[in-house]
Amino acid sequence: MSLNDAKTTDIYRVMVRIRTFENAVRRLTKEGKIPARFGLYTGQEAVAAGVSSHLRKGDQIGSTHRALGHLIAKGCNLDKLMAELMGKQTGFNHGKAGPYHTFDPSIGAIGANGVVGGSVPVTAGYALADQLEGKRKIAVSYFGEGGSNQGGVQETLNLAACWNLPIVFVCENSSPEVQRMLGHEIDYPQLSIDNVSQRAKNYAMPGYTVTGWDVEAVYKAAGRAVHRARAGNGPTLLEFKVHQLEGNLEGRLETSEKERQWDPINQLKPKIPRKVDEHIRAEEAANVQKAVDFGLKSPEPTLDQAYTCVFEEAD
Amino acid sequence: MPAREITFGQALNEAHIAEMERDPKVIVFGENVSSQWREATRGLKEKFGRERVRDAPITETAFIGAGVGAAIAGYRPVVELMLVDFGLVAMDQILNQFAKTTYMTGGAVSVPMTLRVLNGAGTSSGATHSESLHGLFAHMPGLKVVIPSNPYDAKGLLISSIRDPNPKIFMEHRLLYPIKGQVPKEPYEVPLGVANLVREGKDVTVVATSLMVQEAMGAADELKGKVSVEVLDPRTLVPLDEEAIINSIKKTGRLVVVDEDYLHFGFSGEVVAIAAEKALKSLESPPIRVATPNVPLPFNARLERELLPNKEKIIGAIRQAAA
Repeated sequence: MSLNDAKTTDIYRVMVRIRTFENAVRRLTKEGKIPARFGLYTGQEAVAAGVSSHLRKGDQIGSTHRALGHLIAKGCNLDKLMAELMGKQTGFNHGKAGPYHTFDPSIGAIGANGVVGGSVPVTAGYALADQLEGKRKIAVSYFGEGGSNQGGVQETLNLAACWNLPIVFVCENSSPEVQRMLGHEIDYPQLSIDNVSQRAKNYAMPGYTVTGWDVEAVYKAAGRAVHRARAGNGPTLLEFKVHQLEGNLEGRLETSEKERQWDPINQLKPKIPRKVDEHIRAEEAANVQKAVDFGLKSPEPTLDQAYTCVFEEAD
Repeated sequence: MPAREITFGQALNEAHIAEMERDPKVIVFGENVSSQWREATRGLKEKFGRERVRDAPITETAFIGAGVGAAIAGYRPVVELMLVDFGLVAMDQILNQFAKTTYMTGGAVSVPMTLRVLNGAGTSSGATHSESLHGLFAHMPGLKVVIPSNPYDAKGLLISSIRDPNPKIFMEHRLLYPIKGQVPKEPYEVPLGVANLVREGKDVTVVATSLMVQEAMGAADELKGKVSVEVLDPRTLVPLDEEAIINSIKKTGRLVVVDEDYLHFGFSGEVVAIAAEKALKSLESPPIRVATPNVPLPFNARLERELLPNKEKIIGAIRQAAA
């Protein structure tokens, strides 16, 4: 499965869309228009864009507290996403979710998650439903290297292997050189191993470690794993090494020149004709500006909505 | 003891340092404890070394359980969990292994661990980063539940907690961290199970916890000259200073309970039950609870404010109780 020019351009567009959207989020957060700080995906765009390029609308993803890239790559409507981040009535979840719990079931983006590792068992449930339905749908479970250690994540790897579930586990390991947590280097490592993919053999599933800022490598690895799941041959654990650029609003905000070598958009840019690049950037800037305008002019939820949706009304 | 003004976070930091200096068995670990961003544990690794102060992977089940084991084996771990919501990942370790082992073993072992957690809403963080779950932990037998409302109590209660031979969960509202107060430099204990009469009054008793003590004091100030409000801070839910609550109700005859935890089946209901069982004849009006309705906390700041107790709601409740 090699990457042709058209597909490369599509993936590049998604990466630019994520970057542009998050730059707007960063600015709006500083301006107080988005009321909370949260983890961003900047620097990891190749993973979500490359993985999602193999997914269909009916496939499901489960994500993390750093979800914007995953959600956008899966095809989330930018207007409703931005409105949700602003806590507005017109957001996907009417301002109740915010960045940590955004769900868009209409395209299988279900969804962001506020608890580290929390979405992984749930995503296995999507895969179970896919298996039972027999329509060759699959699920993708995103988590980080920190989340990979959680008991629930390790239990889910085992369960998925035991039940041969149509799922791809995508671990984005943001500690290729140093072990970091919330933007500071820590004294003891998060992981006892270098590569999370090593865990795969404990559960008798294939595991691969891939450079996460190399779009072609992401595309190929994801293609193999998605194909395997869709064919009913079971789960794969993919690990992508990534480098968070300006990634965490609670931590450092500056990106050094050295770090730019890990920027997947910079890496891919030489392969995109200049005119095409300019066109994509202009279009995505306009899309994001439209989303910002939509969010800003959208109404707040009414106060009575604070009490709704605790339980669903019976039909 | 001469005191000076420091923040709630600095007070917690001083308590850690004092106990680590006093007792080499005190060890500290958890999520991000060596980070300069975490005020309560700031500088501990530099001062006491990487053996006694350790960052743990994001594995709540493992490191809370490891704290329980180290405590059984003779250490006094202070384990930090970041947000109380993340404790839900590790409920077996907290509610079975941590809380029940002393009883189950007929007292053969003690578990002198202190589990520190951040509690509370008000930061638009959504339903899994905002909860106040002290009632949940107080409901289960075997855990002492400590919930300071000011810098002085934070330091004294944390020192007492670390010295106490039992399992403790120590709950810190994150919005209290920048609040300043007079705190002695020397180590001191605030005993577990003794309420603090924060303000004397004669018309209405307000029992409040954590950040809500600050809100209740604001309400009492605003009603000055109209309603004489007594504010009582239990400081620990387990053990609970029932006597202080009953005595205050007997004095005022009117009760308002303010709690950021959910309304149903929680601390606020417990206090009203104590009033009904032990001071019913003193009550001149029905007790009133001001607590968070049983709704997961929303991201939107206006909706979040709508649900949380605050000064205005407390004023309304006091007026109603006094009417």
